[in-house]
Amino acid sequence: MSDTVIEAPEFAKVTASYLTDGFTLRSWLLTTDHKRIAVLYLGTITIFFFVGGAAAALMRYNLIVPEGMIGSAETYNRLFTMHGVVMVWFFLIPAVPVTLGNFIVPLMIGARDLAFPKLNLISWYLFVFAGLVALYSLFVGGVDTGWTFYTPLTSAYSKGHVVATAVAIIIAGFSSIATGLNFIVTIHRLRAPGMTWYRMPVFLWSLYATSVILVMATPVLAMTLLLLAFERIFHIGVFDPALGGDPLLFQHLFWFYSHPAVYVMILPGFGVISEIIPAFSRKRIFGYKFIVWCSIAIGVISFLVWGHHMFVAGTSLYSALVFSILSYMVAVPSAIKVFNWIGTMHKGFIRFDAPMLYALGFIGLFTMGGLTGLFVAALAADVHLTQTYFVVAHFHYVMVGGMVSAFFAGLHFWWPKITGRMYPEMWGRAGAVIIFIGFNLTFFPQFILGYLGMPRRYHSYPPEFQVLNVLSSAGATILAAGYLLPLGYMTWSLFYGKRASANPWGATGLEWQTSSPPLTENFVTTPTVTEPPYNYPPPEVVQHHV
Amino acid sequence: MSEASLTHEFQYSSARHQAETAISGMWLFLATEVLFFGALFLTWIYSRHWNQAGFDAGAQQTELAIGTINTVILVVSSFVYSAGVAFIEAGNSRRLIQCCAVAWALGVAFLILKFGIEWRDDFAKHLFPGPGFAVQGPLNGGARIFFVFYFLGTALHGLHMVGGLALVGWIILRARRGEFSPASYTPVIVVGLYWSFVDMVWIVLYPLIYLVGRGP
Amino acid sequence: MTPRFRRLWLTLVLLLVLLAIEFGVSFLPLDPSARPLVLIPAALMVGVVVTMFMEVGRGPEIIRLFAVAALLWLSILLGMGSLDLMTRIEYQVQASYPR
Repeated sequence: MSDTVIEAPEFAKVTASYLTDGFTLRSWLLTTDHKRIAVLYLGTITIFFFVGGAAAALMRYNLIVPEGMIGSAETYNRLFTMHGVVMVWFFLIPAVPVTLGNFIVPLMIGARDLAFPKLNLISWYLFVFAGLVALYSLFVGGVDTGWTFYTPLTSAYSKGHVVATAVAIIIAGFSSIATGLNFIVTIHRLRAPGMTWYRMPVFLWSLYATSVILVMATPVLAMTLLLLAFERIFHIGVFDPALGGDPLLFQHLFWFYSHPAVYVMILPGFGVISEIIPAFSRKRIFGYKFIVWCSIAIGVISFLVWGHHMFVAGTSLYSALVFSILSYMVAVPSAIKVFNWIGTMHKGFIRFDAPMLYALGFIGLFTMGGLTGLFVAALAADVHLTQTYFVVAHFHYVMVGGMVSAFFAGLHFWWPKITGRMYPEMWGRAGAVIIFIGFNLTFFPQFILGYLGMPRRYHSYPPEFQVLNVLSSAGATILAAGYLLPLGYMTWSLFYGKRASANPWGATGLEWQTSSPPLTENFVTTPTVTEPPYNYPPPEVVQHHV
Repeated sequence: MSEASLTHEFQYSSARHQAETAISGMWLFLATEVLFFGALFLTWIYSRHWNQAGFDAGAQQTELAIGTINTVILVVSSFVYSAGVAFIEAGNSRRLIQCCAVAWALGVAFLILKFGIEWRDDFAKHLFPGPGFAVQGPLNGGARIFFVFYFLGTALHGLHMVGGLALVGWIILRARRGEFSPASYTPVIVVGLYWSFVDMVWIVLYPLIYLVGRGP
Repeated sequence: MTPRFRRLWLTLVLLLVLLAIEFGVSFLPLDPSARPLVLIPAALMVGVVVTMFMEVGRGPEIIRLFAVAALLWLSILLGMGSLDLMTRIEYQVQASYPR
C-alpha cells in the first residue's frame, strides 16, 4: 500500500452560473429563473421558520411552571395560534416544494425551466404579500383561536384579528395553488427525451402527489375562510346554529383541506429521503414501483380521512367509523415506504454524511410519529387522547422530527448544487445529532403528558405535570440550538465553503450532471435519458476497504 | 406559415408543445375552480338540510324569469364564442372578432340583468339578509341563509364573469392586431375554456337558486 | 355548413332543450327531499358543454385526466362531506334550567 494521500482537488470558481447572471436587484426581483426564485423563497421561509420558532420558544418558556411563566392565558393563546399559523402555512406547506422543488425539478427532469416561469414569480410575490399581511396581523395583536379557526369562537367571540389572518392564509393559498399547478404541468409535459414516468426519480413522483393535493384541496380552504370572514363580519349564519347554520360544516370544510395539507407537508420529505438513502447507500432504491405508487396512493387517500379530526365534535358514529377505517388504510403506503428505505440500505455501502444522518433520524422519528397516529385514529382511544399533548407529540414527531429533518437533509444534500459550495461536514453532522437529541427530549415527554391527561392549548397545568414539562422545555432549548447551528455554518459556507464539483456525492440524477451551481439555462444541451433511476452499480461490485 | 417557423418559449421543444401545455394548464386551473365552488355547494347542501322549509321559501322569492333568461344568455354566449374558435381554426379572423364581440355583449347583458335589475329588485323587496329582512317568523332563518347563498354565489360568479369579459376583450384586441391564424390561436382556445367554465358554474347555480326550492 | 358548425348548432339546441326539460321538471310535485333531482338535467348540460364546447375529447390526454380528477374530487367533497350530515341522529334537547 502506497503512502500517497489523495487530496480532493480544489475546484476552480465556476465563471458563469445562474448566480452570476445579473447582479442588480432588478435581476433578482424580476427573475423568472426557477433557481433564483427558489433562492428567494428560501430566504423568505427561513424568516418565517424563525418567527414561528420564536413563538414556540415563548410557549415552552411559559410552560416551565404550572401557573405559566407569562401569566396571561390570552397571550399564550395568541402565541400558539401564531406558531401554528406561521409554521403550517408559511413554513411547512411551502418549504420543500418552493425551495428544493423549484430548484431541482427542472434539473431533475432535464428541462430548462418550469412550464410557467412567470407564474412561478407571481407565486413568490403572492407568498411575500401573504406573509406581510400575516406579520401585520401578528404585530397588531395576533389571533387567539388556534390555527384551526373553529367556529363559533372565530365567528362570534374572538377579539383577535381573525379576518386579517384569514386573508393572509387565502393569499398564501393562491401562491401554493400556482406552485402545484406549475409542477403538475411541468412533470407531465417537460420531461427530457427518454425520461419515461418510471425513469423519474422518486422526488418527482412525490412532488407530483404533493401538487395534486395543493391544487385540489387549497381552493376549498379559500372558500372556507371566505365564508368564515363573512360569518364574522356579517353574521351570515352558515356556521351558527342559532341562525340555522352548522358549526360542523366549518370543521368539515376546514379539515377537507387541512388533512391533505399535512400530506403536502410530508410527501416532499418522503421524496427527499428517497433520493438521499440510495445515494448514501450507493444502491438502487428497493421497490421503486411500490414507492412511487404509494406516493400517489397517499395523495389520493389523504382526501378520504379528514373526519378523524372530528371524532368528538359531534359527527355521526357511522361517518366516524368510515373515517377511522380509511385512516388506518392511509398508513399502509407510508409504512411500505419505510420498509423500502430500509431495504435500500440493506447490503449497501453506507456513508454517514450529514444528509444521511438527517435521513436516518427521519426514518426513526417519522415511524414513531406515524405509529402514534394510529393510536389517535382509533375511535375509542381518541376519545381519551384527543386535544391532549399526545396529539401534539404525534404531529410534531411527523412534522418536525419527520418533515423538518427531511428539509434539512435535502438542504444539505443539494446545497453544493444550489450554492456551488460545500458546507462544513463535521458541523453538519453535529447539527443533525443535536437536533435528534433535542427533538426527542422536547417531544417524547409530551406523549406521556398527553396520556396522563394534560390538555393542549392551555397556558397552565396541574403541578404533577411539571417535571415532564420542564424536560420538554429543556429539550426545546437544545432543539433551538440545533436549528440555529445550520443558519450559522451554512451562511459561513456561502463565503468560505469549499467549492463543490458537479457531483460531490457521486449520486445519480440529471441534476448532478450539470455544473454546481448550474448555468441559467440548466443544461448546455438537453440531456437524453436511457437508464433507470438510481443506476448505482450492484452491491457485489463495490469493494469495501476495511 | 410552417410550424417550424413558429416561435416558442425556450423551455418548450416546439410551438405545438407550448400550445398543448397552455391548454393543459387552463384545464388544471379550472379543476381547482371546481373545488372552489364545490365548497359553496356543500354549504348549500348543509343549509338546505337544516332549514328546508325556510330555504325553499326564500328560493320562491327569486326572479325566475330573469334567472332563466340569463341562463339562456350564457348558453348562447358560450355557443357563439365556440363558433368563433371554429372560425379562426378555419382561418376567418374577421368572424372570430365578431363572435367574440357578440359573446362579450351577451356577457355584459347578463351582468346588467343580474346586478342592474335583479339585485336592485331583490334589495327593493328587502331580500338582503340583513336588518329588515322580508321573510319573518319561523321561516326567517332558512330564508336568510338561502339569500346569503344567493348573494354570495352570484357575486362570486359575477366576479368570475368580469374576469372572463376582460379575457375575451383581450382576445378581441389581439385578433384585431392580426395575431391569430389557423396555425397559432391557442389563447383563443384557452380563454374559451375559461368562458365556458363560467357558463357551467351558472348552469349549476341556476337550479340551486331558482328551481330546487320552487314547486307546485 | 361544415360539420363542425353543424355540431355547434346542434349542441346549442340540445342545451336549450335540456334547459326546457329542467324548467319543466321543476314544476312536478316532488317531495322536498327529492327536489334536488331537478339538478340532473343541469348535470347533463354540464357534460354537453364540456364535450362539445370545451372539446375535452380533443387535445392532449392529460386534460381528460384533469376533468375526471375534478369530478372525482368534487364527489369526495360533496359525498363524504354529506355522509356525516345524512347519518347524524338528532337528539331532542329538553332544556331545564335550575331556577
